[in-house]
Amino acid sequence: MKASAETTALQAEDGQLIAGNPTFHTVSESISRIVEVKTTKAWYVLFGFFSSIALIFVAMIGYLFWEGVGIWGLQIPVAWGWAIVNFVFWVGIGHAGTLISAILFLLRQPWRTSINRFAEAMTIFAVICAGTFPGIHVGRVWVAYYMFPLPNQMSMWPNFRSPLLWDVFAVGTYFTVSLLFWYTGLIPDLATLRDRAKSKIRKAIYGAFALGWRGSHRNWQHYELAYLLLAGLATPLVLSVHSVVSFDFAVSNLPGWHTTIFPPYFVAGAIFSGFAMVMTLALIARKVYNVENFITMRHLENMNKIILVTSLMVGYAYSIELFVAWYSGNPFERFAFWNRATGPYAWAYWTMVTCNVIVPQVFWSRRMRRSIPVMFVVSILVNVGMWFERFVIVVSSLANDFLPSSWHYFKPTIFDVGMLIGSFGLFFTLFLLFLRFLPMIAMAEVKAVLPQANPHYYEPHGNGKEASVKAGSHA
Amino acid sequence: MSSIEKKIQKDLQGKAYWRSLEELAETPEFKEFLYREFPQGASELGDSISRRQFLTLMGASMALAGLMGCRRPVEKIVPYVKAPENVIPGVPKYYATTMPMGLAATGLLVESHEGRPTKIEGNEKHPASLGAAGVFHQASILNLYDPDRSKLVLRQGQQAQWADFVTYWQEQFNQYTQNQGEGLVVLSEAFSSPTLARLRTEFLRRFPRARWVAYEPVSDENLIEGIRVATGREQLPVYRLDQADVILSLDSDFLTMEGDSLVNARGFANGRRVRDVNDSMNRLYVVESTYTATGASADHRMRLQARQIGAFTAALALALEKLGLRIRVAGELSQYASHSFDQKWIDALAKDLLQARGRSLVLAGRRQPAAVHALVFAINNALANVGKTVSYVDPVDKLLPSTRDLMAVVEDMKAGRVKTLVMFGGNPVYNTPADAAFAAALKRVEQTIHFSTHVDETSSQVEWHVPQAHFLEGWGDARSLDGTMSVIQPLIQPLFGAKADVEFAALLATGKEARGYDVVRETWKAKLGNRNFERKWRRVLHDGIAENSQMPAQAPRERAAEIARYLSAHPFPKDAADKNKLEVVFFASPAVYDGRHANNGWLQELPDPATKVTWDNALLMSPKTARDLNLATNDMVLVELDGRRMKLPVFVLPGQPDYSVAVALGYGRTHAGRVGNGVGFNTYRLRRSASPDFVLGASLVRTGERYILATTQDHWSMEGRPIVRDADLEHYRQHPEFAREMVEHPPLKSLWKEHSYDTGYQWGMTVDLNVCIGCNACVTACQSENNIPIVGKEQVWRGREMHWIRIDRYFQGEDLDSPAMVYQPMMCQHCEMAPCEQVCPVAATVHDQEGLNVMVYNRCIGTRYCSNNCPYKVRRFNFFNYTKDTPEIVKMAMNPDVTVRFRGVMEKCTFCLQRINEVKIRAKNEGREVRDGEIRTACQQTCPTDAIVFGNINDPESEVSKIKRQNRNYEVLSELNTKPRTSYLAKLRNPNPELVAES
Repeated sequence: MKASAETTALQAEDGQLIAGNPTFHTVSESISRIVEVKTTKAWYVLFGFFSSIALIFVAMIGYLFWEGVGIWGLQIPVAWGWAIVNFVFWVGIGHAGTLISAILFLLRQPWRTSINRFAEAMTIFAVICAGTFPGIHVGRVWVAYYMFPLPNQMSMWPNFRSPLLWDVFAVGTYFTVSLLFWYTGLIPDLATLRDRAKSKIRKAIYGAFALGWRGSHRNWQHYELAYLLLAGLATPLVLSVHSVVSFDFAVSNLPGWHTTIFPPYFVAGAIFSGFAMVMTLALIARKVYNVENFITMRHLENMNKIILVTSLMVGYAYSIELFVAWYSGNPFERFAFWNRATGPYAWAYWTMVTCNVIVPQVFWSRRMRRSIPVMFVVSILVNVGMWFERFVIVVSSLANDFLPSSWHYFKPTIFDVGMLIGSFGLFFTLFLLFLRFLPMIAMAEVKAVLPQANPHYYEPHGNGKEASVKAGSHA
Repeated sequence: MSSIEKKIQKDLQGKAYWRSLEELAETPEFKEFLYREFPQGASELGDSISRRQFLTLMGASMALAGLMGCRRPVEKIVPYVKAPENVIPGVPKYYATTMPMGLAATGLLVESHEGRPTKIEGNEKHPASLGAAGVFHQASILNLYDPDRSKLVLRQGQQAQWADFVTYWQEQFNQYTQNQGEGLVVLSEAFSSPTLARLRTEFLRRFPRARWVAYEPVSDENLIEGIRVATGREQLPVYRLDQADVILSLDSDFLTMEGDSLVNARGFANGRRVRDVNDSMNRLYVVESTYTATGASADHRMRLQARQIGAFTAALALALEKLGLRIRVAGELSQYASHSFDQKWIDALAKDLLQARGRSLVLAGRRQPAAVHALVFAINNALANVGKTVSYVDPVDKLLPSTRDLMAVVEDMKAGRVKTLVMFGGNPVYNTPADAAFAAALKRVEQTIHFSTHVDETSSQVEWHVPQAHFLEGWGDARSLDGTMSVIQPLIQPLFGAKADVEFAALLATGKEARGYDVVRETWKAKLGNRNFERKWRRVLHDGIAENSQMPAQAPRERAAEIARYLSAHPFPKDAADKNKLEVVFFASPAVYDGRHANNGWLQELPDPATKVTWDNALLMSPKTARDLNLATNDMVLVELDGRRMKLPVFVLPGQPDYSVAVALGYGRTHAGRVGNGVGFNTYRLRRSASPDFVLGASLVRTGERYILATTQDHWSMEGRPIVRDADLEHYRQHPEFAREMVEHPPLKSLWKEHSYDTGYQWGMTVDLNVCIGCNACVTACQSENNIPIVGKEQVWRGREMHWIRIDRYFQGEDLDSPAMVYQPMMCQHCEMAPCEQVCPVAATVHDQEGLNVMVYNRCIGTRYCSNNCPYKVRRFNFFNYTKDTPEIVKMAMNPDVTVRFRGVMEKCTFCLQRINEVKIRAKNEGREVRDGEIRTACQQTCPTDAIVFGNINDPESEVSKIKRQNRNYEVLSELNTKPRTSYLAKLRNPNPELVAES
């Protein structure tokens, strides 16, 4: 296999993808065990905590439906507030998952195998969180279905010129494809769990979801093809979804929104924030579940490099925005950007610049790139920064637009804050459920990148490392 | 409070409104109601009556109205058994009536839907309206349906009947007949009514020792006194501003708050309207102590402490004298020759006034003392303006207000010399000067009667309270300032069983009950003559005025010696207020006036013309004053004045004179009702009878507390953007296209083939910024016409006011302490390339074939994207269900032709689509085209200066098309290629060249 050849080449260059020299069995053992052992107290405590927050989120949504969107700090002119900020933020988070699983798969980056499963899970959950917000933020939720092109007696169709409608399709498609992709990848592992299951119920449930997987050649052939096709389908979505999300802003005529740089800038930002989120989660999970052998420093370092690159892209976008605002000669445009940096929302702007552009620069240093505490702090700051980026774009542009008479400062309410926190509650609740019931690392794929999977592998003296080097040299 | 009152109160708050009649039926009080002529609901409609039920009551019987109880809101709809004549359901009728207000009265046309008045408009035939209506007139419809109005006669706070009061009064009447009225005092509001004047005369004839005096907290006493000094006669001025080329206002907000402001505004605008470069316009100088709408219209504005305006007037007189004008009293003024005012400014002004001799006008405001008014008369007289731009009329059938009379009555009350005090309207416990200590004096009076619309601060301290009817509920008559007579024609039975003014006065004067209709007709028989009376009477009712009934305009002779004597007896203060001894100026609120409109939500939510503050009064001070005292907007300060203290929030307003702070009266009511209670601060507590208008010697202490003032506009500068475009007249003459030249942009291209909009009617609008005075009348008219909800202070603070039309106010100029102010009415611009339409995902906002941007409420899901994409931010969103708690009775004020919007939908100006369609249908039925000017939007209709013009832009001959062809015409943000249907005529200023050269 070409993949394995590359694997070995990489290994030769920079140590092993998977540390600890596991066998196929130990891979199955160490990953499956996580979902098979008795649920720990710590899990219950965490789950209790986050699901309570998620419940508060649900209760707040209930109150929102009862009272109206006025419970948020929204007003005229800032008619979109935290709900939309959160939406864009969560959609962005989702991107890293798809990028890792689809694009890196197509590019044959074998180091992705250790992180793709939970990165994809993160995508699904982030998109669920994201999808909640536009749904609840409309004034009359009970007729939100008008957004869908449903045949009706009035022959009324949605307005296909509206970017919000494009959004509905883009996010809908993205969620569907991501879910299918993730599920397809899960099938062999679900079968492993089924085979290892001791109780009947467990067997039945995993069995049902494993869709009768037998691990036959034919199974694998179809699987690989389907996975490849889905990866191919998901790849353009990585670019399209956030481009379409950015159209919500770019297609309008509001200074600060009406910018052609938005699609690439949003995609870069999304990947940036997504990787940061994967990083945060991976650092916790590998420690807690003892999978440091699977998610090695090499994976972390690679991700840090991507964070650094995307940070530079985002920083470039910030500066080019300012330049173009000045260069355009459009007074409204100039004001909008000048106002961001110096106006009433300057605190948010500089928080964003600090977190997104300045802080990630520490990754130029190899030592920093490989320091767990540093990358943990940076990954969190990046997500804070990226949330503020969306806040700056959405709120500061709206608050000070064309006619100064309508300018108004946005003041969030407890519900704005509560729903942001609540969405994190929902996210972590889903994530904890995932960690508890599904294999967090793609066992089948990890096995494929073990040296043993290389057809040229042999074990003359029982030293795995040497063997692989030899294998590499043979290739 | 009686039990029934409590019950009603409870019902008002609860949701069980449609059960209340049933609940009432259980009470003994209700049994009494059964004996009355009208069913309970019909004669005193509770809050608990729905519109449908109301209709039912109009024609249905007792059984249906009172005793039908059910658990669910199932009601029978009963058709008219005998339909009233000429009532076509759904087709409104218009009746002429008159709204009295103090010495003034304004003729109105009131729209009535099936017996329910819904909208007030001006009566074109009435000389005080000329078709326009102001903020207070527009909002008075809401006062009619105020659920907190008094519903019961109360004796010692217990429920009583009108008949009980009649019996009681008859006893009193007989007693006082014997002692000629010794100890009997009537304290009323100022009035201007032939019938009330007749009844008062009758009252005083019957009780020669009784007194009937009038008090108004905000009045023209000083003005009348000044004219009395100058001419020997108590007269009222009538201004002809259209005849004046140079106008000087000395602390007078004559455009919005003083005199016949609607007429003043029309005259001013007519003298200012410019069609092309050859037209001339008047020049307005304003010297004022707080920033008013009139100050905003000025070509030259000088801020001056109120106390210095007298000395300024004297300096002006001296300057005029120096230029050769003979002012006979100038000799008395030599002490004012040295002063700190800008002498160049005064000289230029004097020269200007003199050049426009006979075509100039000096007005002084009601806050200024009589001496200023007397001197102003002398100046106008010397300038030969008297008889030309200002003339004087006798105040016939008017009762002039007098603080002095009030104080005399209070003295007598304290001394126990007043046995019976009848308070005829008004709210003296609330609004009399603090040193009168009226509430305490009231306790010394044996019998106290208060006739008022609400159980207010005064009513709650009296023996008898009698509900007073709204002017739309009872007969009456009035004379406008110039003396024109008209009838107050009711449009509806008293909703809460209240009595009309004339009925109460008739009882007072004759001791007999009488129907208001008969009382008024009796007066008018004498006025119109018995011959053909019915015909003439009907004519008066129909037209809303009695033709040629105005008083002759006079040009009285000046009594120079008297003026001189008065001026030396009442010298103008020469010292100025300073940092440690601030001046406080009291002014009537442009929203709630003297407090009488405090329970009117439209008015409470109306942004102040200068500060844009709603739901509050604040201490206005200049930036310099605030800097010196280390204060900022929203700081709470403790004001100490003559030993009285109160806390007030600070609002920093550029253009205030330094060290002079101004504060509105009329707030801080405690018994106004659910809307007005506890809104703002009662500044009457700082007011003294000796200096009710401005007073020196206040000190401010920071408390460290913060108070939130809710403004509708936070940003004051245009940021150099060409939004309100203006130029000096000279500049305009040299650059007639200046307005359009102010923006350069690349050629505007569309991505798609644009709709041509070249057939049929194409609606458009123009707003002439040159004559817009920022009076807010359009805002209230729109609110009334379009059922715009009131959202409350907290929501305004959040930025969620719902006004479809707003008056943007910007400050201009280099001098931050004294900037110019400009107004711009801003509403949906009805863009042909509407950005809102492109982004709505459900096509809830679309274009119709007549070029209107329309909202489909049923389709709107409330994404608010349209608002984000609207460059004008004129869309308004129902963040909550703002009409949820609207009391049933207030729903009767709603326009049935306009949908009431639910929460979650966007709304905005529709160009009064319902009016367009009404006229279109009428035209279609008559087989003709809509005539130009036949459709008038609510804002246009009420505009006192005719700044707004609406019509078919596809017709090159229509007024709006002609205006759009003018060279000052421009569209706001047209560089965005939105192609607005609303355009503006650039504002012009006409500064004095001498003062321009200087600066």
